[in-house]
Amino acid sequence: MNIKALPLRHRFWTPNVAVLLFFMASGVVFAYFRFFHGFASVTNLNPAYPFGIWIAFDVACGVALAAGGFTTAAIVEIFGRHKYHALVRPAILTAFIGYFLVGLAVFFDLGKYYNIWHALVYWNGTSVLFEVAWCVMLYLTVLAIENLPNVIEQFRGKVALPGFLSGLNGPTDWLLGKADGFCRRTMAFFVIAGVVLSFGHQSSLGTMMLIAPYKLHELWYTPLSPLLFLTSAVSVGIPMVVFEGTLAAKFFGRKPETELLAGIAKYIPLFLGTYLLLRLGDLAYRGVLATAFDGSLQGNAFLLEFALFAVPYFVLKRRRSRQNPTLLFLCSLSVICAVVLNRFNVFLIGMDMGPEYSYFPSVGEWAITFAFIAFGVLLYKIGVNYLPILEEEH
Amino acid sequence: MDISRRKFLKIGAAAGGSAACAVAAKAEARNARQPEPQWYGMLNDSTRCIGCKACMVACKKENKLEAESTLGEKEALGEQLYDAPRALSEHTYTLIKMHGEGEQEKTFVKAQCMHCVDPACASACIVGALKKEDNGAVKYDAGMCMGCRYCMVACPYSVPQFEWHRAIPSIRKCTLCSETRLEKGKPTACAGVCPAGAITFGRRSELIKIARARIDAAPEIYLDHIYGEQEVGGTGVLYLTKKYVAFAGLGLGDFDYKPVSGLTESIQHRIFQYFIPPIAVYSILGGIMAYNQRRKHNAGIEGGDDEY
Ligand code: SF4
Ligand code: SF4
Repeated sequence: MNIKALPLRHRFWTPNVAVLLFFMASGVVFAYFRFFHGFASVTNLNPAYPFGIWIAFDVACGVALAAGGFTTAAIVEIFGRHKYHALVRPAILTAFIGYFLVGLAVFFDLGKYYNIWHALVYWNGTSVLFEVAWCVMLYLTVLAIENLPNVIEQFRGKVALPGFLSGLNGPTDWLLGKADGFCRRTMAFFVIAGVVLSFGHQSSLGTMMLIAPYKLHELWYTPLSPLLFLTSAVSVGIPMVVFEGTLAAKFFGRKPETELLAGIAKYIPLFLGTYLLLRLGDLAYRGVLATAFDGSLQGNAFLLEFALFAVPYFVLKRRRSRQNPTLLFLCSLSVICAVVLNRFNVFLIGMDMGPEYSYFPSVGEWAITFAFIAFGVLLYKIGVNYLPILEEEH
Repeated sequence: MDISRRKFLKIGAAAGGSAACAVAAKAEARNARQPEPQWYGMLNDSTRCIGCKACMVACKKENKLEAESTLGEKEALGEQLYDAPRALSEHTYTLIKMHGEGEQEKTFVKAQCMHCVDPACASACIVGALKKEDNGAVKYDAGMCMGCRYCMVACPYSVPQFEWHRAIPSIRKCTLCSETRLEKGKPTACAGVCPAGAITFGRRSELIKIARARIDAAPEIYLDHIYGEQEVGGTGVLYLTKKYVAFAGLGLGDFDYKPVSGLTESIQHRIFQYFIPPIAVYSILGGIMAYNQRRKHNAGIEGGDDEY
């Protein structure tokens, strides 16, 4: 337990960063049109499809894929599996970045973005969106607090602000000390709060489209949807940790945490199994399984979604396959794709709002979405480079 | 150790699961809202409509809505050649559509906001920018709206429209002329101009009586059903159709008699009922955390590993 997390301090300007910046720059170009010339100048959104990929991917998937944060925190801090301690900081950082980007994406998607604060003031308790908005805001705050110790650890006792700001060194350090004490005393509270808030909005996202019984396909329109969204988010938590851990090891030239990841991966089939059981049980109970095989776009999309969930479940049940890094990575990727496809199905593919319109994301919509992803990767790189997130190799 | 591990996982799964289950499993509609006697509405009689579109013009004038070109010339030639709009839009609050495929009998039907008794749009709106007024109109407040478009998802008739071409867009839809006419004691603009008597303006409760009387007086003309009396919990705008023309064929969905927001609202309600579910989950997780810490403390391995 003497392993310490340290900033990587790698060279920052690598070719990869240039690629990320390129994506972000192209996103900014389209963002200009979106903000100054209206949605029609960029998006393919139309009266029948008021929600596009900015909601389906940037928000619905973004929230689900940030689930690594609360699942790891729960396993390690609440259920006391301290063996996996090294995975918590990167997971919490990624979750923070994820939710930050979700907030940013919402800002892009709101027609009257400058009214975003209205959600704080004008309460409409019957709206599912209201609940989602509140939980996301609160959870983002909790995540910020959970990340605070990393910042404190890095800068406490060595605050050295440049130039004329150096006069503030003392006060800043004092503040960090205070924050440190606050964090130490209250962290348990925030860890649990983070899990509860995640439960709240992960499931509420599943409630959202239930407002449209005549538009959402029956394969996804079920009163169990909140629970399905929650359990699928929990299922994708560890696969995200595996995914990020593997990629980070590759791109930062570190030794892969094979053993640790193989260990924590044993929870994946447990969570996936629960989800699959609920999903199948619900479909059977409502007697809609047959529609999955009617050859329609929705039916096929469902079959693919289900396969992406089910295959990794069977593969990862075997201990041997969990210890194979390639297989583990591929299975994790499959679960991630499954959750992404599921959210797309609920928010886009399964929505039929009328025969006159169809929707496929425009170049501009993709560009902005890719810009968000690139921004997220860049923030992660900055985070691990300058803050003690990843543990020292041993 | 292995036993306790399993036990904890079970406790955890049970805690989260049961909280969510309690929410999801027995979700049933809360009591639907009842129409109030003073609410205004309209009766659209499709057997009388001659498709002259005078109501569309009156609506455009009343609400100062831009004329729409649906021929694509506006962009290409810089001038507008007009044809009738084909769908509701931010510039078109009401629309006369002709229905009836092939050899079927043709019927003209007006599409517009139904001013629902228990409006899905109002239930969905995150900030409450859409509200049922005392006069029966479902009113939109542009100053409050955040532009999230959830109301568009929620409305079973896909009525609310978004200003896709504006930098600062609002939602637009039929207002039942609430401010411009109703409050001055005048009927809606469309009802006022209809030359065929296809649009009747009045109190919703009166309109139902009128509709019933028309059906009873001419059962060979009318289908014995007042659309909107019950659909989606009732609507302020009611419809009559010809005897052999189903409402579903006229773009008026074959909807249940309960509000579409019933399920979401009851799930919401259960999650937040006195905050019991979140507090329960919180306490259980807190208990597990404390237990684990004490156990490790006693075993002298605080903050460290044990063998699993
Ligand atoms: S028809 Fe749609 S927009 Fe009009 S009141 Fe009903 S739900 Fe709202
Ligand atoms: S777009 Fe405006 S009116 Fe519609 S739900 Fe969102 S905030 Fe409410």
